[in-house]
Amino acid sequence: MSGGLDRAALVAGAKAVAARMEACGDEINEADAKLGDGDLGVTMTRGMGAIVAEADALPADVGMALLACSKCFTRISGSSFGTLVATGLMAMAKACKGREEVPWAEASALLAAACEAMRKRGKAELGAKTVLDSLAAMAAAMEGKDAPGELAAAARDAAGAALEEFRGRQNKLGRARMYGEKSKGLDDPGMLVALRVAEGLAPPADG
Amino acid sequence: MKKILNEPAAYVDEMLEGLVAAHPEFYARPHPRVIARPGGAVKDKVGIVTGGGSGHLPVFTGYVGPGLLDACAIGDVFSSASAEQIADAMKAADGGAGVLRLYGNYGGDVMNFDMAGETLEVEEDFESTSVVLTDDVASGPPEEAAKRRGVAGMVYAFKMAGAAADRGGDLAAVTATAQKAADACRSLGIALTPCTIPQSGKPTFEIDDADMEMGMGIHGEPGIWRAKLKKADEIADEIWERLQADRPINKGDRVSVLVNSLGATPPEELYILYRRFAKHLADCGASVVMPLVGRYAASMEMAGATLTVCQLDAELEELLKAPASCAFWQVS
Repeated sequence: MSGGLDRAALVAGAKAVAARMEACGDEINEADAKLGDGDLGVTMTRGMGAIVAEADALPADVGMALLACSKCFTRISGSSFGTLVATGLMAMAKACKGREEVPWAEASALLAAACEAMRKRGKAELGAKTVLDSLAAMAAAMEGKDAPGELAAAARDAAGAALEEFRGRQNKLGRARMYGEKSKGLDDPGMLVALRVAEGLAPPADG
Repeated sequence: MKKILNEPAAYVDEMLEGLVAAHPEFYARPHPRVIARPGGAVKDKVGIVTGGGSGHLPVFTGYVGPGLLDACAIGDVFSSASAEQIADAMKAADGGAGVLRLYGNYGGDVMNFDMAGETLEVEEDFESTSVVLTDDVASGPPEEAAKRRGVAGMVYAFKMAGAAADRGGDLAAVTATAQKAADACRSLGIALTPCTIPQSGKPTFEIDDADMEMGMGIHGEPGIWRAKLKKADEIADEIWERLQADRPINKGDRVSVLVNSLGATPPEELYILYRRFAKHLADCGASVVMPLVGRYAASMEMAGATLTVCQLDAELEELLKAPASCAFWQVS
């Protein structure tokens, strides 16, 4: 498969994810209310909304376009999750800087780079039941693939499996950590966001 | 909730409007959530930027002024400023000699200050450093001192870093001095009552009328113990002993001491604490330089106090005594 991530693909992807966030914002807020502030859906909806509002003005340089997307998330909120999303987008921006098309075969490495930058910024480790566990699983599932549809489907399935796998465990980071044993059985709101974002790019068969 | 306000959502912005209207000689507001010096950045001077949640006045915003800070990014009550607001504050403080980010060690603040620094570096090759303030001994054991939270001791770091920048040090020198000032401070506080965040309308924690909590954080983070309220001398004794155990003050040392109100505790009670604390310092043979007693770093209307000891060397003492002014504090 030739081709890659360019400005048009980025804009189309952002619009699809923004629409999915609009549809799932309340659900994400409710999941977050059980383990945190209850405003994570608002953060995601506003952040993606800000990107879509700027979509027409995004530059052709994919790196600079991703940098603009990153800044949308730093503008709309001071929330930690918003800053983590901005951090991930910034890591991808650095890797793409100066290119107008980034081969799809690099998608897995881009997501892995985002995950690592977010891990450092959040001073976190994998396995603590956070969005990082979803992103790591998604990046692993995307490895070796270079077709956008296949990549998105693999990411979606991996995010779903990670959410299932971690649901019964205890949250070990951030505000959710304060809930201790009570967090067992609850979906981590950040992991839920990862799944819903991936579903924006690869709509589920039943959804 | 019983507070003097209009709409909870307008609390911070209306506070800033009033602050700038009352003290235009000290504060300008180049962006809605940035307070900077009215004359703009000082050319060729290292800029010093802080930021954090509202609800702590005079911290953080109040300490913008000559000999102190250059700009501050302001979040909602007890919430971090956004990375964009921090980046705006950094640009407002940039006189061409680089910017030091100097702020308290809270997870959200650290992420947003780091993000702001990275964004400006990628976009504009903007040079900045950071020093994170960690003076609260109750928030971590000595071997994890870097994980401790920042409380009232940050006032000393603001003062000394500000003076170091004023005397013309470069970014590396001002950063090193700020780190030395931060390392010189140890604080411990007590809380008697909670405070209420306007937008939630609820107290930050619950505590029995008869109780106090030793070591509670300025946002209601859990402390060391909670029990019946003790007498002032017993409280001062325990804080002295805990601070001495963390890093002892010895005969001949020169120290500054800050007895700080967390909001509702009156100066009278702060002086009762100071009286006893000063006796301990005198008994161990230390000299007190420029003691500070008053409301320097608050937690809205919380009743309680923090005691900070700042161990001085010749450089830090000179920086402490250097002229500085803001609406809340004058040193001349």
